[in-house]
Amino acid sequence: MKKFFVLALAFGFLALSGQSFAHTPLFSCFDNGDGTIFCEGGFSDGSSAAGVPIIVKNGSGKEIYRGELSRNSDIEFDKPEGEYSVTFDGGEGHDIVIPGSQIFE
Amino acid sequence: MKRGLLLAGLLTLFLGAPALAHFQMLYTPESALERGGAMTLKLIFTHPFDAGHTMDMAPVEEFYVVQQRGEEAEPQKIDLMEYLTEISWASLTNSGKAYEANLPAKVVRSMGDYVFVLVPGPYYEAADEEYIQQFTKMIVNVGGVPGNWHQPLGLPAEIVPLDKPYANWTGGIFRGVVMAEGKPVPHAELEVEYLNHAPNMEKNAFEKEAAIEAPHPSLEVLGIRANARGEFAIGLPKAGWWGIAALGVGPEDEHEGKGLAQEALLWIQVTDMP
Repeated sequence: MKKFFVLALAFGFLALSGQSFAHTPLFSCFDNGDGTIFCEGGFSDGSSAAGVPIIVKNGSGKEIYRGELSRNSDIEFDKPEGEYSVTFDGGEGHDIVIPGSQIFE
Repeated sequence: MKRGLLLAGLLTLFLGAPALAHFQMLYTPESALERGGAMTLKLIFTHPFDAGHTMDMAPVEEFYVVQQRGEEAEPQKIDLMEYLTEISWASLTNSGKAYEANLPAKVVRSMGDYVFVLVPGPYYEAADEEYIQQFTKMIVNVGGVPGNWHQPLGLPAEIVPLDKPYANWTGGIFRGVVMAEGKPVPHAELEVEYLNHAPNMEKNAFEKEAAIEAPHPSLEVLGIRANARGEFAIGLPKAGWWGIAALGVGPEDEHEGKGLAQEALLWIQVTDMP
């Protein structure tokens, strides 16, 4: 199936403004346009985000999916119905939350 | 008598004119992007300081990007030849054959570094009776995750950055290493030139207005030398794009019975502090 990669990125470092780290976590998600969401993570020093937990919650805040970033620091999952958010769980002070409304085709 | 004065005047003008350098441009307006997406690049062989004579580019031999998200990731090479179309680019004095690349969003979508490489065919410079071929690199970053910006690609002639080409404040310095076939070139001769006339992406032309006026020809093209290890450093006094060319460092010196100068070229972008 031909993927339709029109993008929308939401950048997690915006959510971390005001905090200071030696390496800043970075996270972005796209709507693939085929019913799936693609997310990728990383750090500002180029280190890997492999294994970082990714949590998808619905509009009520209930967890509906949990996975972790692959060896390539990315993950793909089915697009939830309705409101949702995606959390990059990088540990205390390193969480990044992207609302589904900022993940575009 | 009048004829003699006129000749003398013309000679003075000719000798006084700066010998501006040929620079292969590989241009896009912004190299540090918050997000990926469709991108347009212009490939122009010109004189960027004075937006002077634009040469007719020879057909492109190679045009690709090497993308890497993170230091530990595997680099991905993507051929971009299919996205090239021929255009005419207008300088302040003429128009020359150039190319445009319209890249779809899927090419520059993920975070990371994108090292664009252009290998144009040799251009015959009749005045010098020799060919010039500039191996040109321009590096874009998406989202702030670094990757392969500092990795050599093994080009016949190449400038390898020691600082991120897309992350430079005005007033800082930029460092690099001149390499040929993977080895540093001691005492390489370099020319550094500021892109002084903004490219108009819609009109395929340079803007007439110059950003600065240089008080002396030696300040229009800065001539420097690398050290014994092929390393160099330049100051960055003004925001915008700067081209750095290492002259005649490539291994081949003949093409179709004429001399050939293989040069390495790198573009870097400088940003004012807000």
